[in-house]
Amino acid sequence: MNATETTRPAAFAAPMAGTPLLEAVDVTKSFTQDGTPTQALKGVSLSVAPGEFVSIVGRSGSGKSTFLSVLSTLLRPDSGQLTYNGQDLTRATEAEVNALRHGDFAVIFQFHYLLPYLTALENTLLPFMRGLRPVSGAQRRRALECLERVGLADKGHRLPGQLSGGEQQRVAIARALVKDARVLFADEPTGSLDSATGATVMELLSQIHKDGLSVVMVTHNEQYASLSDRVVRMTDGLMA
Amino acid sequence: MNILTIALRNARKKWVRTLLLLLVFTLGVVSIVSLNFVSRVVGEGLEKKLVSFGANILVSPKSEKLTVSYGGFALGDMLFDVTYLDEKDTIARVDAIELRKNISVIAPKLVVMDRVQGTAVAIVGVRFAQEKLLKGYWMVEQGAIPGEEPAPMSAKPKGSGMHAPSAPAPAAASPTGLPQAAMAPLGVPLDTYKGNGVLVGSAAAAKLNLKLGSEIPLGNTHMVVTGILAPTGSEDDNVLLADLTFVQNAVGRPGKANFVEVAALCSGCPIEDIVHQLATALPGVEIKTLRNIVEQRMYSVHFVKQLILSVSLVILLTGCSMVGISMLSAVNERKKEIGILRSLGFSRRAVFSIFCAEAASIGLLAGLAGYVTGYAVSFRILAVLDMAEGAVLSFEPLHLAATVLILALLTSLASLVPAWKAAAIEPSEALVTL
Repeated sequence: MNATETTRPAAFAAPMAGTPLLEAVDVTKSFTQDGTPTQALKGVSLSVAPGEFVSIVGRSGSGKSTFLSVLSTLLRPDSGQLTYNGQDLTRATEAEVNALRHGDFAVIFQFHYLLPYLTALENTLLPFMRGLRPVSGAQRRRALECLERVGLADKGHRLPGQLSGGEQQRVAIARALVKDARVLFADEPTGSLDSATGATVMELLSQIHKDGLSVVMVTHNEQYASLSDRVVRMTDGLMA
Repeated sequence: MNILTIALRNARKKWVRTLLLLLVFTLGVVSIVSLNFVSRVVGEGLEKKLVSFGANILVSPKSEKLTVSYGGFALGDMLFDVTYLDEKDTIARVDAIELRKNISVIAPKLVVMDRVQGTAVAIVGVRFAQEKLLKGYWMVEQGAIPGEEPAPMSAKPKGSGMHAPSAPAPAAASPTGLPQAAMAPLGVPLDTYKGNGVLVGSAAAAKLNLKLGSEIPLGNTHMVVTGILAPTGSEDDNVLLADLTFVQNAVGRPGKANFVEVAALCSGCPIEDIVHQLATALPGVEIKTLRNIVEQRMYSVHFVKQLILSVSLVILLTGCSMVGISMLSAVNERKKEIGILRSLGFSRRAVFSIFCAEAASIGLLAGLAGYVTGYAVSFRILAVLDMAEGAVLSFEPLHLAATVLILALLTSLASLVPAWKAAAIEPSEALVTL
């Protein structure tokens, strides 16, 4: 049995043939910053097919990170529609959204955001530590496999402070992989890394994509974006 | 590894803050626990000490009394329709009340007036076993309490002119010429003593020139002095105290008593409740509390308890505020961490639980360490202040468990607002750079 299958909600059980896995239609989002209302998304649409690697590029302030947050359910849109596997996520309950974040969706950030007091292995196991039920042996083995895959099999016992920036980002990727997610959202995953380390991380994302995972990545780097199946550009809250 | 690992690892990582919090809270618990222990032991000791000063409830028959005075000259009180209590019945009814466990002594008395060598004197019939418990301040200067062996000679004051009570004057030598009663047998257990021995108050002995072995006529019989009390500063100095049964028979009132003195222990009950139960059990009988003593006792115990309660509340409030403030600052510090947990599918309830568990773990540890330390500190305080007065400090595992649980609950409650604030954090708020 897969380590995470038990937590995947029935509504998102399997992608339906012929339908996009993830689809955003005419999504808008506005904020108030320093008392000034700002419309970050002005009606953005995007469709991601199962197993597709899509890169979103654009200048700072173009709204690409905001859009990724909406796609990954970290942010609710003001209007528009967001569907995953045919299910309307804008109407999903909080429990359904939590289940999706826990199961099908995985997010990695520019800053890896590991818990500093947990080891690399424990950080990888974090998605399984939601309740009082202890982490199982199968889940532990799965986490070790993921660490091995990102090249950190021998560093599972280390705290984040004892790892380099690239290693920390790879732990974050292992944490995303451990739960067998279907879509990986990556927000500037190489933004805080030097070019060599960034290239390693990108190579890892490519491999993950080749294994069948859908990837939606936000990046400034055109070279990294070219590794994806499709590149979309955003300017001033709109698709270019 | 589970959700508690997150709470406990964070507490370990921030060990300085956790230790400080733990220390402050433990000190608070130590203060509360030790103050409670000390107050309880001192309260019990106080009760024991106060009870040794005498009775605090008087049970007597209802009587009509008239205070007579004319032209500024007081003629004293006139009593109409003098009635007596039935000794056995009264004691049985007192013995049967619900708060019987709070009653330490029941002492019936029959008072008769007589003339000894031409001087009026009160002879009080008492049960010496009960009387001795009631009057812990009694010291026998010469001889012994009727029914008891006299203390060794060395313990007696010099020049007391004591006669050996074990060899009292023979009854046949009675100067009264009245029929002889059995001599006071010494060494008989006090509660079964029914002899004619008499214990004389210090002033009465001096005034009537009574010595050990002196005989005193009473009705158709006589009494023999077996002991003389040291001055007590009380009414006992002026009276003769004899066995109640002996006095009852001598004056022809078998089984009767004028009044019954009751000593109640009231650290755990209001004296009013005992009085109420006595009044119900003894209809038509007057129940009086000796207010001064009772109020003094209750005031002392209540004062200490109120003080402890106030100090405990202040300490607990301070400790809880510290936990709350510390948790609140931790929530602000750990905003990104909360965001990451929420992005991994942790529910609001799970995030809420992490903060509550962290606070509860501090409460658990502080409760455990505080109780054990408080218990040890109580010993030291009681030893230094010498205030136990015979009361015993006992370790109660149930109290320990209750303390630990209550503290865990209190610290959890103190962290409710920060935990709620943490649970309300949206991942976008913590992680997303807009």
